[in-house]
Amino acid sequence: MRLLIVEDEDLLRARLVKALTDSGYVVDSASEGKNGLFHATEYEYDAAIIDLGLPGMDGISLIKAVRAKGKTFPILILTARDNWTDKVAGLDAGADDYVVKPFQIEEIKARLNALMRRAAGFAKPMLEFSNLSLDTTARKLMVSGVETELTAYEYKVLEYLMLHPGKVVSKTELTEHLYEQDHDRDSNVLEVFIRRLRQKLDPDETLKPIDTIRGQGYRFNVPVKHN
Amino acid sequence: MSQSNITDKNYSLQTRLVLAFGLLLILFLGFAAIVLVRAYRLSVVASVEERLQLQVYALLGVAEPEGDGFFLPELSEARFSQIDSGLYGFIIDSAGREVWRSPSALNINVAQDIFQVDEIIRGETIFGSLDTMDQGQLSWVSYGTFWEVQDQSYNFVVMESNAPTNAQIRSFSSNLFIWFSVLAVFLSVAQYLLLRWGMRPLQKLAVDVSAIEAGEQDQLQSNYPIELLPVTHNLNVLIKSERDRQGRYRTTLGDLAHSLKTPLAVLSTALQELQQTHNFTEQHRLDMAEQLNRMDQIVSYQLKRAVKSGQTKLLSRSVPVAPVLNRILGALGKVYRDKNMAVVCELADDAVFYGEESDLMELTGNLLDNAFKYGASKVHVSASQKKKVLQLQIDDDGNGIAEGDRHWVLERGARADTVRSGQGIGLAVAVEIVSSYGGEIKIDQNEWGGARVKVKLGQ
Repeated sequence: MRLLIVEDEDLLRARLVKALTDSGYVVDSASEGKNGLFHATEYEYDAAIIDLGLPGMDGISLIKAVRAKGKTFPILILTARDNWTDKVAGLDAGADDYVVKPFQIEEIKARLNALMRRAAGFAKPMLEFSNLSLDTTARKLMVSGVETELTAYEYKVLEYLMLHPGKVVSKTELTEHLYEQDHDRDSNVLEVFIRRLRQKLDPDETLKPIDTIRGQGYRFNVPVKHN
Repeated sequence: MSQSNITDKNYSLQTRLVLAFGLLLILFLGFAAIVLVRAYRLSVVASVEERLQLQVYALLGVAEPEGDGFFLPELSEARFSQIDSGLYGFIIDSAGREVWRSPSALNINVAQDIFQVDEIIRGETIFGSLDTMDQGQLSWVSYGTFWEVQDQSYNFVVMESNAPTNAQIRSFSSNLFIWFSVLAVFLSVAQYLLLRWGMRPLQKLAVDVSAIEAGEQDQLQSNYPIELLPVTHNLNVLIKSERDRQGRYRTTLGDLAHSLKTPLAVLSTALQELQQTHNFTEQHRLDMAEQLNRMDQIVSYQLKRAVKSGQTKLLSRSVPVAPVLNRILGALGKVYRDKNMAVVCELADDAVFYGEESDLMELTGNLLDNAFKYGASKVHVSASQKKKVLQLQIDDDGNGIAEGDRHWVLERGARADTVRSGQGIGLAVAVEIVSSYGGEIKIDQNEWGGARVKVKLGQ
């Protein structure tokens, strides 16, 4: 999952970037609104964290500008001002949730997780497809009720695919959302991950959860479980 | 504003009124003088014409035909007989020839053609005036008659010098000018004095205000004219609310500083202990985290209290309630999207909050946030207006607030270090806002078992 953080306070931004990178997110950051807007329009993100009190272009204008460019990824506001006029203004401008400073990193992670899951259309933290369920809070995969171990990269690939069910996801898109920019983008590595995932998700080869669309990419193709 | 023309210069009220009334006075008196002089002149001219006509009749009465002319033996008016007396009589025949002139007119040199008429109409009276070289302006009347003895028509003409009437009008005008000038001076002085008298309360107000500035008095006195009472009353309210706010700031700052001292003391002793023992245990971490958390709560509670604008209802605008509630519900719907709350709104269109919009937002934002946070699946919001009283009611289907807790939750101005976490802060801020507007807030249990918060504002 690729994140954008726009925060002018250097210490806080560095801490957020480190904590979220450690949690497996690919994180870009900007220290002021104009740069943030450039990132938001040039790259594809899964979510953004925007501070309301930015120098120059303020947070609300940035959110409006991002939305005006047709970007629909969820936005989490950070604000030091804990009053409803500001919160409502931010949410009206197009943000999806807010966190008041000071905050615990765990709270940010939980909110981001919920936002991205919701943006993909899932109401609960558990992504359930047929006999597969991915717990996005505990980062665990259950296959037919049995917990199955995943490496960090396998989890990232699976989560991304599950959050875009039925959609063809290109290899480029996957690498962009899962790796840092300067990371070695060897598509063979991705193929290895997909092969391993297929084995773990579907040891009997009855479900065939991930389709390969030749020349285009992969598609997670298991119907969502309704309960 | 760029309208700084002559009219917008900073003239004092008194100067403005004096100038305006002075101008009006000059215009009025000038116009009245012109009208009066004209009317007087008209009446004088009318009386001259009437007199001349009588003189014509007098001439007719004594005129006796004699040959081609006339003989007027006994002129009743002495001035006809006296040379250059100013009153002159003529008899003119239909050919325009002069057949008789009064002895007074022997020196008069009148161009004959002025008597030339196309036809003499019997019984017709004509008025006119003419200028002469030696007699000045003359008014004349001519009367047409038919004389059967001579079988001829004649015009009997009487002329009179205008000099006396002009002198009369001139004297009237100058008298009028003198009296009007006296009147203007008198009115100006009276108007100036009246204005000073009328303006005195404003000057007193200025003196009062500067006395308050100097700290010599607390409030404006109440003995102002009825037109100024709303202003002085509102000024008093403003002064009082400003004083109250200063007082609040002082206590808030005091509270904040005092309540931060306790956790700071705990932290510094913990630090000393660590320096001595060099052993950082889990218990130390928990203690410090607790103190940090407490400090964070204290700061955020005082900040929330400071958000309140401190405006009183007397100096406020009317804010429609429904749009504000709808914006907050929209925002909360986003934040609590996962809970998929069923929200029922009954918002009267005429529901109005008299105060600052930010206060209404803070009040309803905190109450609704609690309802969304603690409610299980549904929230009910209603706003209604009865006369000037706004009623808000917010229901949720959570666990409600225990009866024993309702009391301290609603206590106003609870010290920050005594406020408990969770619902407390939001409600404490709501209570703060409601009581600053002189309103009422109640907590109850509703039929779902959840909390019902009722707010009444604007009594």
